[in-house]
Amino acid sequence: MRYTRTALTILTLTALAVTTGCSVEKDGGDSGTDASAQCGSGKEFLIGMSQANNAEPYRQVMNDDVTTAAKAVTGFQVVVSDAAQDNSKQVADVENFLSQGINLLIISPNEAKPLTGVVKKAYDKGIPVIVLDRKVEGDAYTAFIGGDNVAIGKAAGEYYAKTLLPQGGKVVEISGLPGSTPAAERAQGFREGIASNPKIEIVATQTAEWLREKGQSVMDAMLKAQPDIDAVYAHNDPMAEGAYLAAKAAGKESAIKFTGIDALPVASGGIKAVEQGRLQATFQYATGGREAIDLAKKILVDCSKDVPKSTTLGTTQITKENAAQVYTELGGKQ
Amino acid sequence: MNSPNPTTVAASPPETPPRRRAIRLPKDRQAIVDNFFRFQSLFGLVAVFLIAIAVSPSRNGENVFLSSGNLANIVRAVSEIGIIAVGMTFVILIGGIDLSVGAVLGLAAVGSATLMVDSGLGIVPTVLIVLFIGTAFGATQGAIVARLGIQSFIVTLAGLQAARGIARMWSGGLGIPIAYGDGPQEAPETFSLLSGSINGVLPVPALIFLAIGIGALLVLRSTAFARHVYAIGGNEKAARLSGVPVRRVRVTVFAISGLLAALAGIIHAGQLNQGSPNDGAGYELDAIAAVVIGGTSLAGGSGSMGGTIAGALLLGILNNILALNNIDANVQLVVKGLVIVAAAALQRLRPRIA
Repeated sequence: MRYTRTALTILTLTALAVTTGCSVEKDGGDSGTDASAQCGSGKEFLIGMSQANNAEPYRQVMNDDVTTAAKAVTGFQVVVSDAAQDNSKQVADVENFLSQGINLLIISPNEAKPLTGVVKKAYDKGIPVIVLDRKVEGDAYTAFIGGDNVAIGKAAGEYYAKTLLPQGGKVVEISGLPGSTPAAERAQGFREGIASNPKIEIVATQTAEWLREKGQSVMDAMLKAQPDIDAVYAHNDPMAEGAYLAAKAAGKESAIKFTGIDALPVASGGIKAVEQGRLQATFQYATGGREAIDLAKKILVDCSKDVPKSTTLGTTQITKENAAQVYTELGGKQ
Repeated sequence: MNSPNPTTVAASPPETPPRRRAIRLPKDRQAIVDNFFRFQSLFGLVAVFLIAIAVSPSRNGENVFLSSGNLANIVRAVSEIGIIAVGMTFVILIGGIDLSVGAVLGLAAVGSATLMVDSGLGIVPTVLIVLFIGTAFGATQGAIVARLGIQSFIVTLAGLQAARGIARMWSGGLGIPIAYGDGPQEAPETFSLLSGSINGVLPVPALIFLAIGIGALLVLRSTAFARHVYAIGGNEKAARLSGVPVRRVRVTVFAISGLLAALAGIIHAGQLNQGSPNDGAGYELDAIAAVVIGGTSLAGGSGSMGGTIAGALLLGILNNILALNNIDANVQLVVKGLVIVAAAALQRLRPRIA
């Protein structure tokens, strides 16, 4: 069997190639030029924004927030890269930023573990690093800014307990991607929030993986199984909108109340849905983009050495009363 | 030998007009043209390299693109796709396609992490087991293609789904972090060398890519196996009639593709300190792009390994120079699309002139 032998030879060679790590050094030894320019006003600064993926609306808004806020600071120039949900690509993106000689790195990591190394590399080179929304491991970064999903879920729960269903009622929960931390935390917080009102009952929980179309089909099924639903708690706005569409098709949209989370200031986002009456409320999950640029300004322009290592962003409850106003405040385009 | 009679040509039925107009060139110029197309991707690579130098931003008077750190980044970033593309070249040469490689990469990354961290195996058994899984997966697909006569597009599309499913089951759907040390839940420190570099310059994955590339180049240049591969891609029936063991070659080719995808997965896990079931999503398309830019015909039968290696590097340089110049991520995708089409268009031109 000649080919078996060929394949076996290649197998042995590849195995050898991987397992023999002869005189190899680990990375981090390239003591290049210190990339961080002197801080101070009246200087030019290049900021690299490494985004995990540009495909989700939330991340688009985050990019917009960063670039818009940076435009207001003289001397700030921002370049944005898109890792397209690929950890490898995001590592390469940051490496490219380092080659370009950025003065500060803002990164929203696709996943913590794979990005920890390259973030540390940048930090060790003396480049300030602001980590947004998702964390990296260890403490080799300058600052972390992110929302608190438990707190947001709790705020939603309290709204149900006191305002939306004070007399109690049957709630179905449409949850995000199983295994993802935001889904788990938004579920946990909600249960803490409704605890004060024992008459509220979660009668069913189904996942729609953050997706509008899945929200619709899941709600469709739940309407058949649960004829008297009072409200739908969805872990994000698109799923709440999908559930609304299913209820509308069944002619039950006015009997059921819908809430979402995220409140993106875009035409297809939750704030508009609240304003137009499809959702009762939504809860803002801030991108942290503007806060990141504020921090960058402190570090680069004001030469501040004392920045908070971790900033937790609060949430805003959006109902019909404040929807239009919040939309404008968050820089939403008509 | 009679030279073709012009009158017979004129008398040939008009309903089959020559679709490709042959241009006859003098012999010496013919050789130049032939060589140009043979080394198309190499010329392309050199051209893109020169353009990259020319348009590179400079920093403190230094050409950023040419800095050793940047060049190392390029080869490091391209090595996984490059290794997959080497295997893909064999498959495409026999007129097949392997869509499962990205998913097999993910499966191998999960396997590497689980075996070392959860099962506490050493590096050598882990690598051997993972490479074996990849090879077996590829060989199974090859056997289904060869025995049942189903198109490889379908078989490997199914394989893609299956490999992702197995990877998700194996890992519980989440990435498995790899910590290093001597403890029970830790991988041996040596494995982290995959994210290191030799003398602080040449990244280890790039070195492995180089070794695999040269090995495959030699295999494809001078073995009976290679002649069989080309023969099957050129004309399967003729190959079978002239005694080529078509089935066995098929199985071997897919086995090699699976093996190299698994190798890329091991490197992936080592570079990122994690094995995630979603790793390598879409890598199959990048690998196919590298092969196509390298001048290998998707119809099979013609192409070269050198072309694929050049194609992979070209893609890497293109990604890098676009990023260094802060070209918008969406524009980058369009540019990559145009380059792939241009490479394929050049190949279409080839038979017309030759």
